[in-house]
Amino acid sequence: MNGKKYLMNKLPIILVNLLGMIFLAVFLTVSGNEGDSIVFILLIWVLVLSCYLAVSYYVRKKYLDKLLAMTEQLEERYLIAEIVEKPERADDAIFFEIMKMAEKSMLERIAEIEKERREYKEYIEQWIHEVKTPLAAMKLLGENNRFDFTRELLAQLEHVNHYTEQALYYARSEHTEKDYIIRETDLANAVHNAIADNKYLLRQNGVAIIVDEMEEHVYTDDKWLRFILNQLIGNAVKYRGSKPLIHFYSVKNGDMVSLMAEDNGIGIAGSDLSRIYDKGFTGNNGRTVQSSTGIGLYLCKKLCDKLGIGLEAVSEGEGTTVILSFHINDFVAKVQG
Amino acid sequence: MKHRILIIEDDITIQQQLKNLLIGNGYDAESVTDFTSVVEQVKAYEPHLILLDIKLPGDDGFTICSRIRAFSDRPIIFVTSSNTDMDELNSIMLGGDAFITKPYHTAILLAKIAALLRRVSASGGQEILTWNDVCLHLEGSFVEYDGQRAELTKNEVKILYYLFSHAGTICPRNDMIDFLWDSQLYVDDNALSVNITRIREKLSGIGVTDFIKTKHRQGYLLS
Repeated sequence: MNGKKYLMNKLPIILVNLLGMIFLAVFLTVSGNEGDSIVFILLIWVLVLSCYLAVSYYVRKKYLDKLLAMTEQLEERYLIAEIVEKPERADDAIFFEIMKMAEKSMLERIAEIEKERREYKEYIEQWIHEVKTPLAAMKLLGENNRFDFTRELLAQLEHVNHYTEQALYYARSEHTEKDYIIRETDLANAVHNAIADNKYLLRQNGVAIIVDEMEEHVYTDDKWLRFILNQLIGNAVKYRGSKPLIHFYSVKNGDMVSLMAEDNGIGIAGSDLSRIYDKGFTGNNGRTVQSSTGIGLYLCKKLCDKLGIGLEAVSEGEGTTVILSFHINDFVAKVQG
Repeated sequence: MKHRILIIEDDITIQQQLKNLLIGNGYDAESVTDFTSVVEQVKAYEPHLILLDIKLPGDDGFTICSRIRAFSDRPIIFVTSSNTDMDELNSIMLGGDAFITKPYHTAILLAKIAALLRRVSASGGQEILTWNDVCLHLEGSFVEYDGQRAELTKNEVKILYYLFSHAGTICPRNDMIDFLWDSQLYVDDNALSVNITRIREKLSGIGVTDFIKTKHRQGYLLS
């Protein structure tokens, strides 16, 4: 609380007192008192008034500072009315009432929005599960009747699948901790499965695939890993060069296993590299490719962070290598062994 | 003997297409149409393997699974659109043997079915294929003709396997590449041509000529 401002607020009181002093001085002079005693009386008055102002300022400041500190410490500040004692002063009591009312309406609004959000999210998840049935039917239809035409449809279907998976993981990415099982996962198997998910897309775009022998097993959730790999393959296809190639290989480095997905596409500009995981960021190259959404890598990063997988992209003008680094926790091996 | 597979799935298109797929791959397949008496139909059909959806009209897949488990230990594959870990755990706890999420790859589904059936009936697959006196040995990965052998690479074995198992019919290049990709061999059109040329050289080395015919714009044919 600012002292000067406090004095300004108390101006009416000070003015009334000054007026009182002037009247008293005039009255005392007229009734024939000596100047010395008038000055003395007025000094006493000023002293009492200043004492009153100083003490009331101090008490008030202490009370308000405490209130401020309490609010600052609170994580959900709108709940301050819950922990404040009911004030004694009449005007404070009114503010307290107002605070309570504001808090109540705020809580109601939050509850309402949370409910809406939850329902919407549940609807999205349910919708995705439902749309997967016709997708599966279309895929079976296509695979049972293979022509060039159905192959193209199947490639488009893989696109649709990317987007639905994205939506599903986006809806889930907040409470992911409820939805994973860490298991020993064969790295090569995960890569082959992800390639199978994109078979027609890769073939249609003439993408060559090289998968080196990989012996490593990592501890992770295979469903999520597959999603991440799917997004990476999708990106490699989207930002492909003239003779597209994706090369998967693994590197063991101490207690880390890195899965490398190297492509020879148009790459990522150096100035964009640090921002590719930002939501909605499409970058220089993204703007030249129509279907950039800036969601894929954002989700990958988010999931990787939750799973404890290191995600890094290296690009020097041309081609991109995405590195997924897994910790090999020998603790897990020890427990199982 | 053909293996019998029962499809418990309420989406009619998927039901029909799964049936076509399974029949096309040498199984006997039947699907449940009346969902009020699933267990009775399972008892009547006595399938070797069951494909079971989770979301069904009436009782859900989990309930049906535990009821089937009460009298049969035939393999059950859950095929479902929900891919939460709770569902997967549930399916395993109730005695499901595999869990595949939609939209699934037919290659992976067929591989799972084959693996589970092999475990049950313990009958190994065909290891030697023969066409016009030429023998393809899958285990040893070589071809044999008139006592002479030619070693094959992984790609060449798979290509020949496809041609042998479709012998007498034209094999479109695209279908062959699809099959190779499903076998985790990522060859493109050019690589397929190169492989075919190499196989022909190897075959002529052991005295087989004109074995693989090229049908222009259509594919290859074993003669």
